[in-house]
Amino acid sequence: MAGNAANMSGGSTLQKARTEALREAMAREKIDVLVLMGNNWHADYLRYGTDFGIQEGQGIALVRADGSTTLLLDDAAECERARGETAGCDVVHAPRLVQETRDRIKRSGNRSLAASPMHLLPFGLLKLEEDDLRIADGAPVIEQLLMTKMEVELDCIRRASVLADEGYVIFRDAARPGRKDYELIAEIEGFFRSRGIAENFMIIGVGGQEVRGMAPPGGKVLKAGDLVTTELSPCVDGYYAQLCRTLVVGEASETQKKAFSVYQEALEEGIKTVRAGVTAADVARAENDVFRKYDLGKYTTSEYTRVRGHGMGLFLDQKPQILEDVDIKLIDGMTMIVHPNTYHPDAGYMVLGDALVVRPDGHECLSTLSRELFSVNAS
Amino acid sequence: MRRGLMAWDASEVPVATIEARQDKLREAMRSGGLDAFIAYTNIARPAAVSWMSGFTPYWSEGIYCLPLKGTPVFATALSKRVAEWIGTVMAVGKVEPTPQPGVVIGKKLAELKIANAGILELDDLPAKQARALMESAPDTAFCDASKMFAPIRAEADASEIALIRKAAALASECIERTDPQAASVQDLVAPCELHARLSGAEEIFINVAPDLSADARLKRTDTASTLADTFALRLSVAYKAGWVRMTRSFARTSAGATDFDRLQQVFDAFVPQSGNSIDAMLRQIFADNGATLKSWQLEQPRGGYPLAIVAGSEVDNTWSASAPSVLSVDVETASGHWLAARPLF
Repeated sequence: MAGNAANMSGGSTLQKARTEALREAMAREKIDVLVLMGNNWHADYLRYGTDFGIQEGQGIALVRADGSTTLLLDDAAECERARGETAGCDVVHAPRLVQETRDRIKRSGNRSLAASPMHLLPFGLLKLEEDDLRIADGAPVIEQLLMTKMEVELDCIRRASVLADEGYVIFRDAARPGRKDYELIAEIEGFFRSRGIAENFMIIGVGGQEVRGMAPPGGKVLKAGDLVTTELSPCVDGYYAQLCRTLVVGEASETQKKAFSVYQEALEEGIKTVRAGVTAADVARAENDVFRKYDLGKYTTSEYTRVRGHGMGLFLDQKPQILEDVDIKLIDGMTMIVHPNTYHPDAGYMVLGDALVVRPDGHECLSTLSRELFSVNAS
Repeated sequence: MRRGLMAWDASEVPVATIEARQDKLREAMRSGGLDAFIAYTNIARPAAVSWMSGFTPYWSEGIYCLPLKGTPVFATALSKRVAEWIGTVMAVGKVEPTPQPGVVIGKKLAELKIANAGILELDDLPAKQARALMESAPDTAFCDASKMFAPIRAEADASEIALIRKAAALASECIERTDPQAASVQDLVAPCELHARLSGAEEIFINVAPDLSADARLKRTDTASTLADTFALRLSVAYKAGWVRMTRSFARTSAGATDFDRLQQVFDAFVPQSGNSIDAMLRQIFADNGATLKSWQLEQPRGGYPLAIVAGSEVDNTWSASAPSVLSVDVETASGHWLAARPLF
């Protein structure tokens, strides 16, 4: 089993390491209270500060410079769960979450406040400004910590990556004509639950040249000749690792094989570029240059693709986004996926991506699955 | 994230049904002097936008704006390509992909010369979106419209009831397939997950109280492994935005199973008559069977949450008998806790 249940002691070590790193960063930035928000979409900041993996409702953690942390949750059952699953936090049920948080901050009398992620900061907390309490952006405190992983964090991502590889085999074996897209995902989810994995990010594309991206499953039925694309991302102790692969139902056509070879070359070039000190833009450029070489440059633009990879960790799609205009430098210990996923005019949307750890002299590739265009029996 | 079946089927939720919901909302807006109603959505708070548009996000966030007159607009941070997909699963409304949903909706309000706009759960709205919205519509006055929305949402139409019934059927089938002798939490839950998703569930959250003799807390399945002689399984299942919870307690011994079955029959037969008498009635039926009610709660869709506590042993009663709800109980027996939950229609 890969999840927390088998690693409660590891989880404790992990949280101690994160807590220490957070306190140091707060001291450096002279922050008295760091307000961390989270929900089932963006659970990362809350998890870093409290080790709680929120499932329903919303939560706010007040992490103080003196070492104490209060976790406020608006869902009663989640609150009970947090009391059993977190250590070192004062857990409070707060049905009126924003008001309760506001009152606690006011009562504490602290003056140096920061919050993260700012895009989740509730409007109601701005009322603190009426009491001359201004909330600064907590990004300088926590963003670097989320991007660059400690060895205990990398262990989780490595385990998640092994499960991503194993999960893809389940997915591939489930793909056959007549099956619906959501049935393939059901098979993989059943497998992940059997391995103690509670979370997974996954989207899918099914069809031919007309398919321009991936989405949640909508009931499409697989048929011979279809491309089936997916990115799957199991989560171990809060940390995601992603894998992107494409398969063909039946024998791949020459057109599909030729198109896919561009993605294989682009992935290889992108991965070769990854090392500490280069920028996210350098990696994107290496991938995109391959497409440009084959007169496919337009398919590297936002019209056809969102990003050419991204960081991953407690959030699946964290900084740095791999794009030609992102000049964030890669640092030793960052984890990311390089994926030149995009539309190909001859074959349709194709994906291929591997998870990596950035190292001073290159990278550690976590994905071990073949980078081939997979083919499954069409009969 | 949501990764089960996400599709809009007009035979399940006709456009006319969504339009009727929006008409009810517009009627309340007129009475309340509002020219527009605005609701935020993400996967943690999707219920209001799902109800008024038919759309549930699988990821990211968005803002839905229903003007008193004209086409509703849904501004989302999801990409343009994903917006094309949203167009296929959102029954009513125009999709606007944008990195700044607040700005797009604010500009829309300004363009329509909206004087008064009501926002659902204003305090909870992300400040970045709220500020962008307000700055882009400087001539619009904003207020919290949660109290206006609540009574409208407290009544369910036939489509919503049918979706919830389907979700309840999926949850029941999962419970029926549960093996009380499962070797571990993971062996217990994997078949539930598989069955629910193979049958078209949009989402399933599974929690387990692995040892009812010691603790009634429901853990996530990655933080529990060993099952004791008595344990409970809670399934929170969604089918096309219709949510239910179902909790069942299991005993591995035949004597324990007999006791638990008796309590289950008592619980299944219970029909709440009114909010105020639920507490007394529940206490009585369990006392009559040698057990003690520790706590109870009723959940219904409210605002952005698919299921929110509307009545219980520790909260004020705002339960509506005219909409489906979920009743959960924690009961103390001679062998420890006994947990149960089921939907009420």
